[in-house]
Amino acid sequence: MVTRARVDPITLQIVGNALASMADEMATTICRTAHSTVVRDGMDFSAVVCDAKGRTVAQAVSVPFHLGSIPTAMETLLARYGHRIRPGDVFVLNDPFDGGMHLQDIFVFKPVHLDGELIGFTATTAHHGDVGGRLPGSSACDNTEIFQEGIRLPWLRLYAEGEPVEDVFKIIEANVRIPRMTFGDLAAQVAACSVAERALVALAERHGAGPLAELMDALIDYTERLVRQEIATWPDGTASFTDYLGSDGVDVCDVPITAHVTIAGDEITADLTDSAPMVRGSLNSTRSFVKACVYQAVRAALTVEVPNTAGAFRPIHVLTKPGTIADVVMPGASSMRGVTGFRVLDAVSGALAQLLPDRVPAAGEGGNTLAIFGGERPQDGWSDGGRFIFYELVVGTWGGTPEADGNDGLTNPASLAANIPVEVAESEYPIVVERYGLVPDSGGAGLHRGGLAIERVWRCLTPRTSLIVRSDRVKHPPYGLAGGGPGGLSTNVLRHPNGSEEVLAPMFSIEIEAGDVYEHRTAGGGGWGDPLERDPAAVADDVLNEKVSAEAARRLYAVVVARDGTVDLEQTTALRVERRSA
Amino acid sequence: MTVAGARVGVDVGGTFTDVILHGAEGRVVIRKLLSTPPSYDLAVVEAVGGLAAGPAGGPVAEVVHGTTVATNAVLERRGSRTALVTTAGFRDVLELRRLRIPHMYDLFWRKPPPLVERHLRFELNERVAADGTVVRALDDGESRALADRLREMRVQSVAVCFLHSYLYPEHELRFGAILAEELPEANVSLSSEILREQREYERSATTVVNAYVRPLMSSYIDRIRSGLDEIGIDGPLQIMQSSGGVMTAEDAKQRPVFALESGPAAGVVAARGMGQRLGVDNLLAFDMGGTTAKASLIEDGAISRGREYEVGGSMSAGSRLIRGAGELLRIPTIDIAEVGAGGGSIAWIDPAGGLQVGPRSAGADPGPACYARGGVEPTVTDANVLLGYMPAATVADGQVSISAEYAEQAVLRVAEPLGLTPLEAASGIHRIANARMTRALRAVSSEKGRDPRDFALIAYGGAGPIHAAGLAEDLGMRTVLVPAVAGLFSAVGLLFARPEFHEVRTCHLDVDAADPAVLAALFAEMEAKLVHALDGYSEVEWARTADLRYGGQSWEVEIGFPAGTIAAEAVAALRARFEDEHERLYGVKDQAGSPVEIRALRLAALGAAPTARSFQLDGACVAGSAAGSSRLIHIDGDDVETPVRTRSSLGDAPEPGPLLVDEYDTTVVVPDGWSARRDAATGTLVLDRGADGH
Repeated sequence: MVTRARVDPITLQIVGNALASMADEMATTICRTAHSTVVRDGMDFSAVVCDAKGRTVAQAVSVPFHLGSIPTAMETLLARYGHRIRPGDVFVLNDPFDGGMHLQDIFVFKPVHLDGELIGFTATTAHHGDVGGRLPGSSACDNTEIFQEGIRLPWLRLYAEGEPVEDVFKIIEANVRIPRMTFGDLAAQVAACSVAERALVALAERHGAGPLAELMDALIDYTERLVRQEIATWPDGTASFTDYLGSDGVDVCDVPITAHVTIAGDEITADLTDSAPMVRGSLNSTRSFVKACVYQAVRAALTVEVPNTAGAFRPIHVLTKPGTIADVVMPGASSMRGVTGFRVLDAVSGALAQLLPDRVPAAGEGGNTLAIFGGERPQDGWSDGGRFIFYELVVGTWGGTPEADGNDGLTNPASLAANIPVEVAESEYPIVVERYGLVPDSGGAGLHRGGLAIERVWRCLTPRTSLIVRSDRVKHPPYGLAGGGPGGLSTNVLRHPNGSEEVLAPMFSIEIEAGDVYEHRTAGGGGWGDPLERDPAAVADDVLNEKVSAEAARRLYAVVVARDGTVDLEQTTALRVERRSA
Repeated sequence: MTVAGARVGVDVGGTFTDVILHGAEGRVVIRKLLSTPPSYDLAVVEAVGGLAAGPAGGPVAEVVHGTTVATNAVLERRGSRTALVTTAGFRDVLELRRLRIPHMYDLFWRKPPPLVERHLRFELNERVAADGTVVRALDDGESRALADRLREMRVQSVAVCFLHSYLYPEHELRFGAILAEELPEANVSLSSEILREQREYERSATTVVNAYVRPLMSSYIDRIRSGLDEIGIDGPLQIMQSSGGVMTAEDAKQRPVFALESGPAAGVVAARGMGQRLGVDNLLAFDMGGTTAKASLIEDGAISRGREYEVGGSMSAGSRLIRGAGELLRIPTIDIAEVGAGGGSIAWIDPAGGLQVGPRSAGADPGPACYARGGVEPTVTDANVLLGYMPAATVADGQVSISAEYAEQAVLRVAEPLGLTPLEAASGIHRIANARMTRALRAVSSEKGRDPRDFALIAYGGAGPIHAAGLAEDLGMRTVLVPAVAGLFSAVGLLFARPEFHEVRTCHLDVDAADPAVLAALFAEMEAKLVHALDGYSEVEWARTADLRYGGQSWEVEIGFPAGTIAAEAVAALRARFEDEHERLYGVKDQAGSPVEIRALRLAALGAAPTARSFQLDGACVAGSAAGSSRLIHIDGDDVETPVRTRSSLGDAPEPGPLLVDEYDTTVVVPDGWSARRDAATGTLVLDRGADGH
């Protein structure tokens, strides 16, 4: 571990607070001014303050999946522009082959100067609703090369010395479906960067640019120490786990994701080089995104609170192989790589659980479901050329933990999504939500039951409506741990007005008609621990609340619940003895 | 309104019941009594009766009551057996919430169980579309069958929330009428009566909390009323709301959800009232207690409004953007930011050698180590005692005696491992607490486009006046106000509150094409409803606002709407006012001509302000230590022998710091570079930073 000249530990905390407060202020600005539902309700954005070397010193609450995104983008920015960064410049990027993640995530970075000297950067990335490409919303699992996915922006100046670069704005405007939405969200990102720029300048004026740089350095080292000290308490060892995607984005097939996790001293390494080769569809992930997923898995296992700085990730190593699903190369498509990230997280967690059994819960639903409805809305005066894109998120449920039942209905902890209110969806888009709720008997059985799956049902009101869906866990359910059972499988069904129905693949893009009803169920969470050990009273409570049927209580938990809702203790004891000896 | 006779405010907390009497001739008396759980009403009646019978008393014209009884019922899950009835297909909206997690990376976080469990949530086969038209009519037979079911299940209170009832409340009203016939013994709360606003989870959750606490609040208020009647106090009873206004006891029995979390609101109302008397319109209100610090903005004499509150939630979330930790209420409230830093916050060292303060608190029991009641961990109060900011003596009428020795022993626990002297560590704890509290102050000012330097800081709560000047310096502020009885300031707010009622109507109108007649009709509908609630109040003032946003956004900006006839020009002016405020708040506006929507209209009815008669707080409490003494304080490595004064010894002429003003339950710290004077009319201390102060 590096030791350096002692920095006053009190000033360090005070400056850390000030930097964190700046990042929060950026996040507030983005969230309140953004136009797209993914940013607004999905919280799919990040806000970061960096030092002059481009290292993160504060990151706001935002999607953990973005943890690794800014450093990689910063590296390419500095490599490209190095000494040509001037006060008033604002840079923009979305190209995954130039440091981006997937085309929907647009990065906006602003250098911060004090008296002409570079003192840091303020940086944001946000998921945009549409960046052009083959289908509305740009994301489609069956995109097979990046050229179908929308406009590619390598690092460019959006503003040069304070002046907008008109050419860049024009080319964006010509390539996206709803320019007003794109520009609204870009303006929110620029505003956020400017808000924090002012605060960072004020902080540098107060402490002096030199001392502030030293304090930021010390903050990064301090974070590194926090993480190293905890990892050092973990047992050394290696464990492996393979989980699967149930589609390559185009066809139903098994796509393995394998993680070998090694704890050695105060460092941890996740090796994903044995994962599947790049797939046909758009599930291919950049290395930067896989790093973020590993960081999330490790951070979630830590018990200490760690500030979000570059130092937190120094003891964590990630190995990937170019040309695999975990390290996309040209011209691989990546718009729907989010689901791959969720599976990387599941695989790394599955391996970690073998090394740290008390710190890792059973698998959750396996990733938020994305359903994108796009089409022409009936004339009502509220549209841009009548076109609408409705990004619907069906947000997760948790696996059972070593301590308690999985939460019934809660965002996957790697994303921070919220649901979109039914009343908002119905009043803003030509769609009806027919049902939204929990699915009984879908939680994995266990001493601690997995969370129930979520069901959401939409009726389409417009003709020739594009429906793009990314879901998974139709064949490979979320795993249980320590003897717990798997969660229930996900399903997709389309019902036509004439009464016919079709079962759909987990990932698809189709056209549906007015009157068609699309029913989606997520997977349920895995169970933790032996179901035969579950408190019969807890099982009876689940039966009372219609979360578990009396039949399943008997079959999975060997608990006999009488008609009046009470546990028949005699029969239960007998059944459990019989089941254990079987 | 002008009231003959005394007005009494009574604020009930878990430990203490504070009571304040404002006599007819302007004199103010305050008392602190132990609360009487679980029958909190006993102390309330006793406190009011005691002061009324005292030397300053006399006939009581009005009693204003702020209570945590409803809040505690929610936090402790002691409400009534409540059922929720929803549209078919949406039984789980309440339990799913918005699905957010308040803590990142915490895979062991448990979502609080819903106040109404799944087996008590029922569906009815009715449906209204997003445009307010009926898709499936409510079936009377099915409704009556459900009423039978609710009776069998011994439900005491029923919440009803149907989809789109903010547009079409008739189904809820019809089902409510059926319940009144079939189940007359149960309380019924309809979502369209509680919150006429879009978003089904927020509306359901708010209605459920109302239903959950209603039987309990209703009987609590009845007991106070009859208790007051018995001792011959027949003036009206008013209940404090989270909005900072008061409502009648009868209304509070119907809509108790509006009375949740009224304590912090009362403090802000007191701050505004005191600001008005001092002629200061722009204030940052700062309330620092034992476990939390709260901040709120008062601009041009107006309180900042909030729309949402989470009971039990705000403390534990790291950011105001992250919700989901508590029970969400969408009710008119005051925008208050809160951080987990107070006098009792514990200092500790993390595994990497960083000094941290809070959010864990020593609370009231054992309290800070210096109270010598068994606490051993160092707290902010212990640091303040070591630094000399607080006296090592007996305070609060002898209720607490403070030991510097215990404080030093506790602080040593963090000083030694860091290689610091106890004084250095104490100074660090004080400054880190300030840094955390600055975040709350920034959240309500700079994060909303307001520069704190344009505001004066008004500090109250037991620990507020100790930290205020230091915080003001950190934020570049030049004036600090410390009201008399700063430690009991919430009780003062009860006497400054006005009657206040709110209505809202969700709409979806293009600002450039909105028909003034449509807006007028919506305002008229709300006014008709409020006139009913205002029965008995005089001199009503109406405040109209509209929620606007750019097409596609989901956060609205509230814009004032002129009174009088709704003219086309007023509607036309809305766009420009919205765009200006948007730019002020977020630094950007959209391209010219971007669609702007009116998403809701709001109407507030404000009753007359309480009488403006003089308000003499000075003699309300016994003063602190004797004049003429001094104490060593430790500032930035220097020991400074500092005069200790009493509030009453300061006059209208500014006196230079450093000074300490010891009081009943707090100390006012006036650092070097600041001056202090006392406003004679209100007893408020006014601290000013000199031109050379940094």
